Amino acid sequence: MAEAALKELASLEKYLGLKKTNKYSTKGERKVPVLQTKDGQDIVGLVTIACHLVKAAKQEQLLGRTREESAVVQQWLEYRIVQLGAPGAKEESRSTLRDLNEYLEDKVYFGGDFLSLADILMYYGLHSCMVDLTVQDREKFVNVSRWFSHIQQLPNVQQHLPRVHIMKNRIYTNVH
Amino acid sequence: MTKEENNGAAEELQIQSKKALKKQQKEAEKAAKKADKQAKLAAEQQTTSEEDFAKDRYGQPAMVQSQQKPDRVLVRIQDLTPEKADQLVWVRARIHTSRAKGKQCFLVLRHQQFNVQALVAVGDRASKQMVKFAANINKESIVDVEGVVRKVDQKIESCTQQDVELHIEKIFVISLAEPRLPLQLEDAVRPDGAGDEEGRATVNQDTRLDNRVIDLRTTTSQAVFRLQSGICHLFRDTLIKKGFVEIQTPKIISAASEGGANVFTVSYFKTSAYLAQSPQLYKQMCICADFEKVFCIGPVFRAEDSNTHRHLTEFVGLDIEMAFNYHYHEVVDQIADTMVQIFKGLRDNFTTEIETVNKQYPSEPFKFLEPTLRLEYKEGVAMLREAGIEMGDEEDLSTPNEKLLGRLVKEKYDTDFYILDKYPLAVRPFYTMPDPSNAKYSNSYDMFMRGEEILSGAQRIHDPDLLTERAIHHNIDLEKIKAYIDSFRYGAPPHAGGGIGLERVTMLYLGLHNVRQTSMFPRDPKRLTP
Repeated sequence: MAEAALKELASLEKYLGLKKTNKYSTKGERKVPVLQTKDGQDIVGLVTIACHLVKAAKQEQLLGRTREESAVVQQWLEYRIVQLGAPGAKEESRSTLRDLNEYLEDKVYFGGDFLSLADILMYYGLHSCMVDLTVQDREKFVNVSRWFSHIQQLPNVQQHLPRVHIMKNRIYTNVH
Repeated sequence: MTKEENNGAAEELQIQSKKALKKQQKEAEKAAKKADKQAKLAAEQQTTSEEDFAKDRYGQPAMVQSQQKPDRVLVRIQDLTPEKADQLVWVRARIHTSRAKGKQCFLVLRHQQFNVQALVAVGDRASKQMVKFAANINKESIVDVEGVVRKVDQKIESCTQQDVELHIEKIFVISLAEPRLPLQLEDAVRPDGAGDEEGRATVNQDTRLDNRVIDLRTTTSQAVFRLQSGICHLFRDTLIKKGFVEIQTPKIISAASEGGANVFTVSYFKTSAYLAQSPQLYKQMCICADFEKVFCIGPVFRAEDSNTHRHLTEFVGLDIEMAFNYHYHEVVDQIADTMVQIFKGLRDNFTTEIETVNKQYPSEPFKFLEPTLRLEYKEGVAMLREAGIEMGDEEDLSTPNEKLLGRLVKEKYDTDFYILDKYPLAVRPFYTMPDPSNAKYSNSYDMFMRGEEILSGAQRIHDPDLLTERAIHHNIDLEKIKAYIDSFRYGAPPHAGGGIGLERVTMLYLGLHNVRQTSMFPRDPKRLTP
């Protein structure tokens, strides 16, 4: 968990184009990532650090351009931590995917029509889950797959993660 | 014993006797009620026997012991059509359902997968008692019925004979079924899921198989096994037309033909023998004996302890072996064409059966191409890799990958039947001929229906030296297969062949999910009865 979170933050830094990589430590039993800033303050937690990095990279639009948008982004960032990061998330992954599939049916991004930090972190969070899915399941959760395929092809997002193959044509139509 | 205890025991006795008394009372009441009922019944019967004018028109005659040969034509239910309207006919059928309603009783009479509505109504032909008798015949009993065929105004949706009904004038029970059935036929034909909606029962597979005789009476089972018989017939018919000879091979054999792990051992006098896994060796020996083209339909045995939807320990193998001139594709084409002829024959002659099965187990119609699509193993692997599957060049297809490849082929070529040619040599048995152009591959092939393997075949090695070499490579005890290798020493033509599982073909053609549905009395590691 901790390893993954630190890797994720390093990937996010690269995506955001931050040149100077930060030093991280972890804290507590669940190894929550900690970032020590230049002025000596500790920033704790994956999402908090991620938001800080976005601001440092001067890409605030990734946190939402209006108040409604930022509320939606914050909601999905919290979902990322609470739902995907929780112990036992792996066992519940199918019901999570079912919910997300329904949500994404009429959306390009988690925020709707704009790319946000939520998409990047959800992508990192869902990757292990998507890798394990069979071709048939990827087709079953077709909206998640479409979104996932889109995000992983954005420049510099993929970073440390292997590409997940998503088929463009449906092969399980009319399956009884 | 102390006094207290004594007292206690006495008290207990008293309580007991009280209880017993109550019980006795209750029983007495019950008995009285019963007697009352019986008296009533007797009285009723008395009155009935007095009044019943139709008492010769119904009943349970003596057991049929071939005492007589009445001059009576029993019409089949499927022949009860509007052309027979207003005729008086005799019918033998089962009571499928019965529903009494006042002065009349509706019966559904069933014979095989056909049924018709019949009616007994109080009138000048039938008495009250006769209607009551008809209504009380247990379900599944076999009856002889005489009645008039009458056209109906409104189609009877629940029956196969929708345009007519039978007005019963006589009804005799030929064989009485027990009142309680282990499963209800209606429950057994209900599509999966449909029961949940209506809050009705469906029958699970083990219950069906435990009571197979009743389950086989359902319209679905009737259709499945009629179609299966059709497959055997079409297989035979096609091959005989192609100049094949049908052979019979022994099933008790001295050595395992394909790897020793999955054979049944039987004790054979002072030694032991095996049950044949396939007629492989014998059909090849027939080729060496100049029979040129042979086929064989018979049981094959696999002692694999796998409890899957598609494995049985005994199944019916349709085996083909054929000598060819220069290229084993001559044989592949013949086998593929035979399969195509079977598919065509089923499509054209078994429409009703396919529809009947589809009602319970919906599936897309089976699609095939002519000539049959043939892909090389390499191409198959490439298609899988394109779909994001990681696998080695010489790796065997896993079941999920096999199914996925089936979907990919269906999507690309729109066929449910295709051949995968040129398997890696490493994953095939020792008698498989290596590919002359690439030693890693072989002249072997599998055929697939709806993404599942139904046939495995290859060109066999007809050269004793190469055969010996390959056997050694596979660590096979040469002593045990000496007779087999020797049969190629006296001139053996190049030949190839393959074996099909009848149950699998039926299952996959109909798009069913379990091979036990297409085996009449399935045998698997956990089932030896019925």
